[in-house]
Amino acid sequence: MDIDDILREVDPSSSGLPSETRDLQSLTRVWVAERSTPELLSWPTDGLVERVNGRIASQIERVEALTGDMDPRSNFALIVIQTELERYKFLVRSYLRARLAKVDRHALHYLSTPDLRARLSPTELAYATRHQALLHNHYLASFLGSFGPTLQNLNDTAGNITMIDTPDLENAVFIRLLRDGRVMGKGVDADGDVEGRTGDIIILRWADAKPLVDTETAELV
Amino acid sequence: MALPLPQGLVPTEVAFLCEMEMVTIVPRQRLESIPLLSGDTPALRPPHRAQMPLWLALLLKKQRRANIVPPAWLHPASLADIIHHETNVDPQAFSPPPPPPTRADGRGRARPFQDNIRSSREQPKPGDDPRLAPPFLPSPPAGYLPYHWLELAETLLAHAADDVPAAAEVRSLLRDLQEVRAAKMRGSTQSLEGGGGVVVLRGVGAMELAESRAFVLGVVDGVRKLGASAEATRREEEAIGGGGRYGGGAGGRGGNFEDSDEEMEF
Amino acid sequence: MSYYDLDAILTDAEKVPCKFELDVPDLGYLDNNPSQALKAQTPVSLPLWLAELLALSSRTQSSNPEDSAPFLTLEMPKALSNEVVSALKADPRAVALRDQTHNMYGLAARMLDLFEEPEMCAVLRRTFVTRAAETALHARKAGATDDVVRGEGFLSGLEEWERSLFRRAHDGNKACKEWMDGVKK
Repeated sequence: MDIDDILREVDPSSSGLPSETRDLQSLTRVWVAERSTPELLSWPTDGLVERVNGRIASQIERVEALTGDMDPRSNFALIVIQTELERYKFLVRSYLRARLAKVDRHALHYLSTPDLRARLSPTELAYATRHQALLHNHYLASFLGSFGPTLQNLNDTAGNITMIDTPDLENAVFIRLLRDGRVMGKGVDADGDVEGRTGDIIILRWADAKPLVDTETAELV
Repeated sequence: MALPLPQGLVPTEVAFLCEMEMVTIVPRQRLESIPLLSGDTPALRPPHRAQMPLWLALLLKKQRRANIVPPAWLHPASLADIIHHETNVDPQAFSPPPPPPTRADGRGRARPFQDNIRSSREQPKPGDDPRLAPPFLPSPPAGYLPYHWLELAETLLAHAADDVPAAAEVRSLLRDLQEVRAAKMRGSTQSLEGGGGVVVLRGVGAMELAESRAFVLGVVDGVRKLGASAEATRREEEAIGGGGRYGGGAGGRGGNFEDSDEEMEF
Repeated sequence: MSYYDLDAILTDAEKVPCKFELDVPDLGYLDNNPSQALKAQTPVSLPLWLAELLALSSRTQSSNPEDSAPFLTLEMPKALSNEVVSALKADPRAVALRDQTHNMYGLAARMLDLFEEPEMCAVLRRTFVTRAAETALHARKAGATDDVVRGEGFLSGLEEWERSLFRRAHDGNKACKEWMDGVKK
């Protein structure tokens, strides 16, 4: 155990990484994960997105303050700041839009149970509920209304097939191991069981990868 | 507004990630620290080297404010070693990924990297730093390819070729390396017909994955769907024989879902 | 399988050979004999969704499973006949799957669910993987153009899953090449 460890145990809020670096790494990781999984992942509960958005807002204010300054030296700093700002905006935007694509695709599914609804941010939940209501009303007005009452549902599960589309959790994903350890995954002829090493890239079903990702044993790539 | 892209990062997104890779620069001018969202940049004092993300290094390079120090692995000798390994030592697998960075690697850098101290087997504890992974790792030593090797090399050759010694030789070595590895990537799907649950592609690179990801996943998912009934039968037999590793996991498809129709009144 | 999946719906509509276990009044037209009842054991073709339903449901009310007799018995469709499977076993690349049916693997997955055929399952998986590798080679040759699926021999024989694989491989190659070309600018 070295001095950093001891300090960390004394003061749990202190951390080896500056919080800005941590947040960038976390944001990048949740973005890649959301882009790589068949199902919608949980909205970060530690305030990550809100924190990043707050920083982006104050950085924009800084840019506005600097824009009046015509000194060429701070001009270059401005270019750097704005370039980075655009990169952050891209990350946040792409993350939110990747989530939106999943919510749109399987709206009824994500609205169907409290557990699933808990994955959405308050804004996403409001959006999904309202969007679904609008859609249903539109369908009713344009064609569902002409059907008999029993044929107007969009969530029937009769006849062994449900109208509520769900993501396929058995779809395969690529992960990278963040620590050494055993990796098990379901297979057709036999199940897989491998001693993985840190840095290994592995293909397996999302249902089998999820516990590894949840415990930060692996990340999606 | 919803993102129209398929599941999994596409090449342009991989290139975006690669621009976060840390590179070493030699400043040609002084530059004060700039307050960025990802933290303050190091103050630049020629001729002291500094570490920064690729996107920022490229900006400095374009303005002739700095030269980029090509990473050790990109030297011709290092690339030749890797090609030798990929063709002769282990013609089946990709060359091994860089060893995880140790604490000593973080010394003397502008910012400490990968100071996660828990051993690689221990479970993380709350409050731990997230375990760093590419593109947030320091550049690997010679003889090892970083995860973003192809995009990083192409970008450096496109925008800082004058900083890369023997650039023409490096280019041709990179083409050779790409060829060798592309054949391995193509071969990797041949092993999939048994529908093995865990396929390890140790050492594969980000752009190589981006190129083949959708295809490979399509093959894996196809084999699973074709074998779904055989797999269900096997699980039933294993459950009866008590030999099933996953016990009652017969069928398996969507088994993690709750019975959602019961809760539709919400 | 998803409710709105077009390929699944089309696979549902694939005709499969079957034989009714009893005479069915007024269905004679299925055997070109409109004025008669359809005789038991007459070979007919029905869409998979209907045939499956009738093969799996019991025509007697008895709760005793011994008594349960289905309305009809299913047979393997021609696309999955021994003939085709043997040809695939000999050389997966030599068979134009699309000429058998556009939804070869989709149909196969459904039939394998109904019939226990471990060997056919293994042959089809090998076929799928071998042809996928070949498909990827063709996709690479097609290069960074949008010139997708021409009448070329092997490619014209791709069924729907394989066409999707071709598109995936082609799009991946193209996106990668586009980035490589663009980085120089």
